[in-house]
Amino acid sequence: MKKAVASVRAWAGRRGALALAALLMAAPASAARSPESWDRIAPARELLGDAKPRAGGIELRLPAVTQDGSSVPLTVRVDHPMEEGNFVEALYLFASGNPSPELAEIRFTPLAGEARIDTRIRLDGSQTVVALARTSRGEWLAGAREVRVTVSGCNSRSAGSVENLMEVRVRAPDRLRAGQTGDVRTLINHPMETGLRADAEGRVIPERIVRTFRVEFEGRTVLEARYYRAMAANPYLLFPVAPERSGTLSFFWKEDAGESVTAEASIRVS
Amino acid sequence: MKQILLTAGVLAVAALFAGVLVQSAPEPESGEVVLADRAAVIAQSCAACHGTEGRLVTAIPPIAGRPEAVLHAQLVAFKKDQMPGATVMPRLAKGFTDEELAALARYFSELPPE
Amino acid sequence: MKAIPGISRREALRLLGVVGAGSLLGAALPLKARSLGSARVVVVGGGFGGATAAKYLKRFAPSLDVTLVEPQRRFYTCPFTNLYLGGLRDFESLGHDYRQLTDHYGVTVVHERAEAVDTERKEIRLSGGAALSWDRLVLSPGIDFRWGELEGYDEAAAVKAPHAWKAGPQTMLLRRQLEAMPDGGTFILVAPDNPFRCPPGPYERVSMIAHYLRTEKPRSKILLLDAKDSFSKQGLFMEGWKENYGDLIEWVPRSSDGRVLRVDAGRLEVETEFGEIHRADVLNVVPPQKAGFIAERAGVADETGWVPVNPKTFESTRVPGIYVIGDATQAAPMPKSGFVANTQAKITARAIAADLAGKAPPDPKWANTCYSLIAPGWGITVAGVYDVHDGNLREVPDSGGVSPLGADRSFRAREATYAEAWYAGIAHDTWGTRPGA
Repeated sequence: MKKAVASVRAWAGRRGALALAALLMAAPASAARSPESWDRIAPARELLGDAKPRAGGIELRLPAVTQDGSSVPLTVRVDHPMEEGNFVEALYLFASGNPSPELAEIRFTPLAGEARIDTRIRLDGSQTVVALARTSRGEWLAGAREVRVTVSGCNSRSAGSVENLMEVRVRAPDRLRAGQTGDVRTLINHPMETGLRADAEGRVIPERIVRTFRVEFEGRTVLEARYYRAMAANPYLLFPVAPERSGTLSFFWKEDAGESVTAEASIRVS
Repeated sequence: MKQILLTAGVLAVAALFAGVLVQSAPEPESGEVVLADRAAVIAQSCAACHGTEGRLVTAIPPIAGRPEAVLHAQLVAFKKDQMPGATVMPRLAKGFTDEELAALARYFSELPPE
Repeated sequence: MKAIPGISRREALRLLGVVGAGSLLGAALPLKARSLGSARVVVVGGGFGGATAAKYLKRFAPSLDVTLVEPQRRFYTCPFTNLYLGGLRDFESLGHDYRQLTDHYGVTVVHERAEAVDTERKEIRLSGGAALSWDRLVLSPGIDFRWGELEGYDEAAAVKAPHAWKAGPQTMLLRRQLEAMPDGGTFILVAPDNPFRCPPGPYERVSMIAHYLRTEKPRSKILLLDAKDSFSKQGLFMEGWKENYGDLIEWVPRSSDGRVLRVDAGRLEVETEFGEIHRADVLNVVPPQKAGFIAERAGVADETGWVPVNPKTFESTRVPGIYVIGDATQAAPMPKSGFVANTQAKITARAIAADLAGKAPPDPKWANTCYSLIAPGWGITVAGVYDVHDGNLREVPDSGGVSPLGADRSFRAREATYAEAWYAGIAHDTWGTRPGA
């Protein structure tokens, strides 16, 4: 097996857009089915305080039915400008039916160009996935989507060990036009141990999580993410970037055990 | 008018199933009949390996026309993991209730073998 | 009325769940009276789902007018094409005709393609231009491909890099390419994300091709590039690969950059998500899939490309009177397998017969067993039993599962023998064809 540590290759923006379109096709858009669903999630209530989020404006894409709750593809897109003074500042993701509902918290800057991510999450049974977004002007948006997780021996996952721990892969668009948004793909090999699992001898495997992921472009933050234990093993994040000039993207992952790893990729803007 | 339509409908239904209904004495709606229906419904999956009506003779044995007691004992043994040499049947038998297994044994025992 | 040979009156009664004239008197009548005597059911697709549905409709209600629409005069099954690719079976042994359905059961078989469905007029238009009307329609259209969703992979590309995911010329093309491949070449299989036809299929395929290559071209390599991090019967396949083929098969999961995003069929190259380029001597791409196109034209498929159904009857949730079975449906946790299509067909045929008689559908229960062959004499299975619980399909708790890991050779050999017997059994139940006949 060839190693591709932080391999960075040509990646046309057009192709990224096509791939996204394909992903979007895989599951239909639907308005928030349970507009009040965030009220039932304690950490979401705490976050909102007295604020009343506006339903709609956040599109969640998930398979309506999945047979593998350990790695469910999730796409979230906030339909909101990303300009200085008026942008999506933070996106909070929750799985209402998990033992702990927090999935991830992602902070954007206008450098991202769009507030949109693709990732993979863990769902402990059928439930509603909720997204809350806060804009730089302090407005709240909300979206939700139901997923049915079925148990199937046909697709049972072997909870094996993760090979090449902390190995990372990134891919950025190598060439963009000024003002154009391109997709960045990132992946880190990591078990994302929940602390809720026992080994063969019945001992609890301690929690071990990639806690933070940060992306900078020439020293300026593009995105900052905080992950929780319901992010799927081998955390995957696709997000956009819209640099106005050529430069280097830097990626920083840190796990709560203290280990960290970095990668870089350059983008040419013409 | 309503009455005529209803009558016509009944006749038509009767015609539709004439092949099966002619001369058949009405059976009581008893628990036994319901169970037999249930057996026919759940027995359909068996045919995918044992052939239609469980009659096909291959390395997978035919089950049609075998003694009810034997079939029942085997199904129960599969479910309890007490059947030496079994492969997939224990996993399948566990998907059926004890009553369903008994009904299956009876159902296949009453079918004529090939 | 023509009697169906081999079905006793008592049996037909029981099959239908009709327990006497008394129950008919109180029945609700769903059809206009004039059409009842000649109620017509059209079944589209002559595979495991459609052929079984047509046959069992006639078994349950012999007076029904049942027409099966299937372009092929001889149907070749996807199950066991991998054995053909591995050199263990000849292609003709996978073919089944419709003689028993027409001659023994009285099914009318029309060898044309269903092109369009008019749900208002309840008519289906055939490739020859004729129209068939129906009181109930059964669609068992299998899958079609989402051409172009995987960049560079369209119908033209499939001529160079076959999918071989529908049995026929594509399967034979892949076999010829394997035969022409030099010893020391690389075979690459690109496996899709869920859901797709035959979850263990890609893994059985590399197993059977490994068998062929180890025998005929021992210096060759197999690379399995996967859009997933786990797959059906994974532990058993991995164990079997190691035991039988050493390190001949290399599986690259999604998290090791196994997900292919672009295919260059002319150069036999694929590009992964993180930019790795892999070159093959023989390239087999299993592309993303959706329900067979007639499902879309009938308006029963949803935005996912698959067909949502009422779990109890498999009647479309979108168009009443149209029933959809097999790979085209959203029936998770039931897999998209030939076995499942066959068992769904029988439950649905029963539901249709009951509906036409004004009776409630039965409480369904389905089983599935998927056999995979890793090597000659080395078989494995996954089994499941399914029912409807709280309005949803589910696997019956504490049932089903896969063959044990670490089982002895005789266990694997028995499952390999049963795999062959299963094929004979399901062919018998679906087309009425017999092994060697």
